[in-house]
Amino acid sequence: MSKIISLKDVNKTYTGVVPLHVLKGINLEIEKGELVSIMGASGSGKSTLLNILGILDNYDSGEYELDGQIIKNLSENKAAELRNRMIGFVFQSFNLINYKNAVENVALPLFYQGISRKKRNALAMEQLDRMGLADRAHHLPGELSGGQKQRVAIARALITNPSIILADEPTGALDSKTSKDVMQIMRNLNEEGMTIVIVTHDPGVGEQTNRIIRISDGVITA
Amino acid sequence: MFDLLREIAQSMKHNKLRTSLTGFAVAWGIFMLIVLLGMSKGILNSFNSSMMSQSSNYLLVWGGRTEKAYKGYKEGRSIDLKQGDIDAIDASNTDGVAATTPVKRSSAQLAISTSKDYISGSYSGVYPDMQTIDGIKMIAGRFINQSDINNRRKVMSINKNNAEVLFDSVASAVGQYVKCNGLTFTIIGVYDSEWRSDIYIPYTTARMLASDDNNIDQLTVSLKNINSIEAGERVESDVRLTLAQSRGFDPEDKSAVWIWNRFTQHLQTSEGLNFLNIAIWVIGIFTMLSGIVGVSNIMFVSVKERTHEIGIRRAIGAKPRNILAQIIVESVLLTALFGYIGIFMGILVDEGLGMAFAGQEWIKDPAVDLSIAVQVTIVLITAGALAGIFPAFKALKIKPVEALRTE
Repeated sequence: MSKIISLKDVNKTYTGVVPLHVLKGINLEIEKGELVSIMGASGSGKSTLLNILGILDNYDSGEYELDGQIIKNLSENKAAELRNRMIGFVFQSFNLINYKNAVENVALPLFYQGISRKKRNALAMEQLDRMGLADRAHHLPGELSGGQKQRVAIARALITNPSIILADEPTGALDSKTSKDVMQIMRNLNEEGMTIVIVTHDPGVGEQTNRIIRISDGVITA
Repeated sequence: MFDLLREIAQSMKHNKLRTSLTGFAVAWGIFMLIVLLGMSKGILNSFNSSMMSQSSNYLLVWGGRTEKAYKGYKEGRSIDLKQGDIDAIDASNTDGVAATTPVKRSSAQLAISTSKDYISGSYSGVYPDMQTIDGIKMIAGRFINQSDINNRRKVMSINKNNAEVLFDSVASAVGQYVKCNGLTFTIIGVYDSEWRSDIYIPYTTARMLASDDNNIDQLTVSLKNINSIEAGERVESDVRLTLAQSRGFDPEDKSAVWIWNRFTQHLQTSEGLNFLNIAIWVIGIFTMLSGIVGVSNIMFVSVKERTHEIGIRRAIGAKPRNILAQIIVESVLLTALFGYIGIFMGILVDEGLGMAFAGQEWIKDPAVDLSIAVQVTIVLITAGALAGIFPAFKALKIKPVEALRTE
């Protein structure tokens, strides 16, 4: 097993009138093929850690290595490219673009890779089919149920064949039945070899992962 | 690029009302610009067809009356142009003067009659070069030629309106005879002119009718190598000086001979028309500016509304330049699309005005031509890009973290 995520003494302070030291020396390693959850109360630094893992935000000191690539002081362009190719995001509120239908939403990351419309829509159809949503391909997000929307979002996360799936409260907006379905999809993907990191405060979600990383007051406690 | 356009078309369709309201402002601005430009073009056309149809490289000289005493002569002495002035002007102004040609008119109004009807007027005895100078377009027969001059023929070129009065039709006029001053003249040609009604006969014939006196009514001095107002004015004063020396009057005395400088006047008129054109562009662009501010405003709102969407796009891999391009191209397309609607409406109105004002003298064929359409296109694209630039930079400030914020 090789390490896919490695954080060494990562610190992050938000500057302001009162500087806020949010991450206080995070050390974290995640192996390829793991299904882990990061749990913590609000204000624990969990979201900041997610931002850094997802290359959405910078950190001040320490080192973050993702799939052999050191992520530090990247230009906006480089960061966008790495996010596009290495990370599949799944969000709590799905974050589908509401005037694009399911196929177009799933295909969007490939648009930014400059892949032709025909090819990316074909790849998007494959992913939707994998999620069992082939018959909903031309529906707008508004015409889909919450569970269906989250499955479209997962299809979008998978389309670039990323190194990890980063999910932020993926079941937060879903009822318990669909939550279970979504978690089942996550576990299935993990069994197929996908590395998945789920950020959550829901113990029920945490239990279904293979390892729980707890963060509290900016440090990892377990 | 095609994909980008598709993206933009989608987001425009998504906000139909907003798109069309903004679009109206732009369309209105460009509509006003086109209508104004069309009108100015019409005024320009009207100038061109009257004044400007004559060649502009000429000085016209008439005799006058002195206003200043000079070398023992009292003021108030009348100066008549004489046959000898032609050679004097040609000989002493070789730099700026190409040729000098005289016109001799009948001293009184004459009746020119056929069995059908008569007109009254005075004839102008001219050389063949007067056809170019006066910008005469023949529609039947020919103008006075050198052979008419050499043989002192009693021939006449008249305008279309007079031909229609004197004869049944323009076509039948050529070769017919008219009576004038007790003599019989042959009509050799009919010309078309909106406002000129001169009756042209050969210069030598006119001189013969005046018992071969040496008086000339008008000299037309054609210029060469003249390309600025200053040069035009210099030739004018040189010609005046020549006449002053040979005829003995003060070279500063502007009323001793009257000189109409068609060349400098032409330049001044064109400058005036250019100014009119510039003024209309300025007015039009300021009108359009309100439309552009509208587009900019709407793009700001659009960026603000789409903060979350832009965050999502950034999170899944949109580079800053992708976002920049999307906003600016959207702004350009919005401006151009509605701009062209405005242009189209403006052209329709111009055509309508053209029909409504048909036959009026001050305006003629108000319409915009291709070059204006090209200029306006450039203005539109620039305007759209400018309108999009600030909103686009605002969009660039949106961080991908926005995607994580729940709505």
